[in-house]
Amino acid sequence: MSTTTDAIAERGPPGPIVNHDADLARKRPEVGSARVRAPTRRGGQLLLHAAFIAVCVATLFPMLWMLRTAFAPSQDVFRATLSLWPDNATLGNFAAAFRLHPVGTWFMNSVVVAGAITLGKLAVSLPAAFAFGVLSFRGRDAAFALVVGTMTVPYVITLLPTYVAVAGIGLYDTLSGVIVPTIGHCGFVVFFLRQAFKALPRELFEAARIDGAGPWRQMVEIALPNIWGAVAAMAVLSFLGAWNLYLWPHLILDASEHKTLSIGLKLFATTGEQGGEWGPLMATALLAALPVVVLYLVAQRQLVSAFATSGIR
Amino acid sequence: MSMAWRRLGGSPWLFAGPAVAAALLFVWLPMAATLGLSFFDWSLLRQEATWRGLDHYRGTLANPDFHLALVNTGVYLLALLPLQVGVPLVLAFALMRVQAKATGRVYRTALFAPSVLSFPVAAVVWLWLFNPTVGFLNTLTGMAGVPPQRWLSDPDLAIWSVIVVAFWKSFGLNLLIFLAALANVPRDLVEAARIDGAGGWRRALDIELPLISPALFFAVVTTFIVVLDEIVGAVDVLTEGGPYRTSSNLLYFLYERGFRHFQFGEAAAVAVLIAAIVAGVTWAQFHFGERRVHYD
Repeated sequence: MSTTTDAIAERGPPGPIVNHDADLARKRPEVGSARVRAPTRRGGQLLLHAAFIAVCVATLFPMLWMLRTAFAPSQDVFRATLSLWPDNATLGNFAAAFRLHPVGTWFMNSVVVAGAITLGKLAVSLPAAFAFGVLSFRGRDAAFALVVGTMTVPYVITLLPTYVAVAGIGLYDTLSGVIVPTIGHCGFVVFFLRQAFKALPRELFEAARIDGAGPWRQMVEIALPNIWGAVAAMAVLSFLGAWNLYLWPHLILDASEHKTLSIGLKLFATTGEQGGEWGPLMATALLAALPVVVLYLVAQRQLVSAFATSGIR
Repeated sequence: MSMAWRRLGGSPWLFAGPAVAAALLFVWLPMAATLGLSFFDWSLLRQEATWRGLDHYRGTLANPDFHLALVNTGVYLLALLPLQVGVPLVLAFALMRVQAKATGRVYRTALFAPSVLSFPVAAVVWLWLFNPTVGFLNTLTGMAGVPPQRWLSDPDLAIWSVIVVAFWKSFGLNLLIFLAALANVPRDLVEAARIDGAGGWRRALDIELPLISPALFFAVVTTFIVVLDEIVGAVDVLTEGGPYRTSSNLLYFLYERGFRHFQFGEAAAVAVLIAAIVAGVTWAQFHFGERRVHYD
């Protein structure tokens, strides 16, 4: 268990995963039976690819259909069709969406909420992870258990008192009311970053200590540059989680112009006459999906390692 | 040395303090408060607490709507557990056997893509597919000669439609977990079995599957969390728990009691019950999961 997390945490930015795959590929031909079984294998591989292509297309289809509808001119939206791209693609649905609802404001609110939660979680978690992983002090293990133990607490059980407290100090219907309590749920970030700090060789810090570097300098100048991969993974994971928050902002944000995209979508989907503004709604859904999909494609390796570790913890 | 540190403002508690404070303030304290709240009558409007003992628990456990939410949660679990564990498991084993690694990564990218969306986005996308008059699914059924379905407003269908969306949106996470676990199975063990004459199926079932059993347990836990927690974003957008509460679940019941009817004490009791279920499952995962690992 811990060896796995260590191994993942140790993977720096450049692509050792690719090298690992290449190693495996190189080893394969050494196995004697491979050549004899090559023909059936090729047939099997072909079948495997066919099956995966079918499954992938089915998986991506709802997203492709959203894309199609978002760019379809209104008379084309309701046409019973199987074609994945509309004739005369248009941006009209985006303009219509911005007319119907404060979609631009929702987008900015989502950016602010996700950005602030990400920065806040990192600001709280990095020093704590450094303390738990590198420094030694009395009460460290108890404090670590207290922080990382929050991972096992379902957030449902914190919902009501936090809501009352946020309303009590006048943060109801504000972005701060969404942001501040969410930063407190950083147990996994602390856990993950501590693994990364722990994996660094002790001698690194000994040398710095002899040079008279205090713990802050040790963290910022020596430890941090060596764990950027892990920090990036946690930044991406936190941003994604915060961008996708639903129930909490749904409870806290009330006025339409204070909403984030995730909860604005619900408002959008449930207002307006029956028959619906499907084109503009899909355009808005696309705006809500686009940042996370782009982030996923750009930072896939960090994200996969973070998600996979969350499963091995 | 510790004096030198203190002079530099380097007390370890300056590092760890904010995280400890945040954990106490935003997780442990609210948790204790929820437990306390569940014994009282209290609402935001009438800020006066009256002791009710176990009344809220008794009342909740006797509430037919709660029973329905409980049964529905059971249906969600019974349907989603085999789907969420079985399908990603088969996909992970199959993906490990794709020899063109770059292509395999493309498949992984595509299969995980829905999992990065939020539940409300996934729900809105499917709301459109499910639309009874102009949605794509009824276009399909029409081509197959099946009459159009009211996917979200038919009491017999609604919960299954939500299940499809929840599965689509969250199977990717378990796939990643299984892939990571399979990548960590020692290659020499598998090779040794191959040399001993074990075929592909034998290697998968007798060597790889037992070795990744902790990941299987964890996948069960993530599925519980999806059903008890995250699915609320899909339920709220797709059906609002309806029709006739047939697609409601425990968290949606809590949401209604607490934030539509503002019965905070009652909602707190529901929160404690949900948390107890999650804690029980997590405990079982650690307990049985760890034991399996040490067995090897």
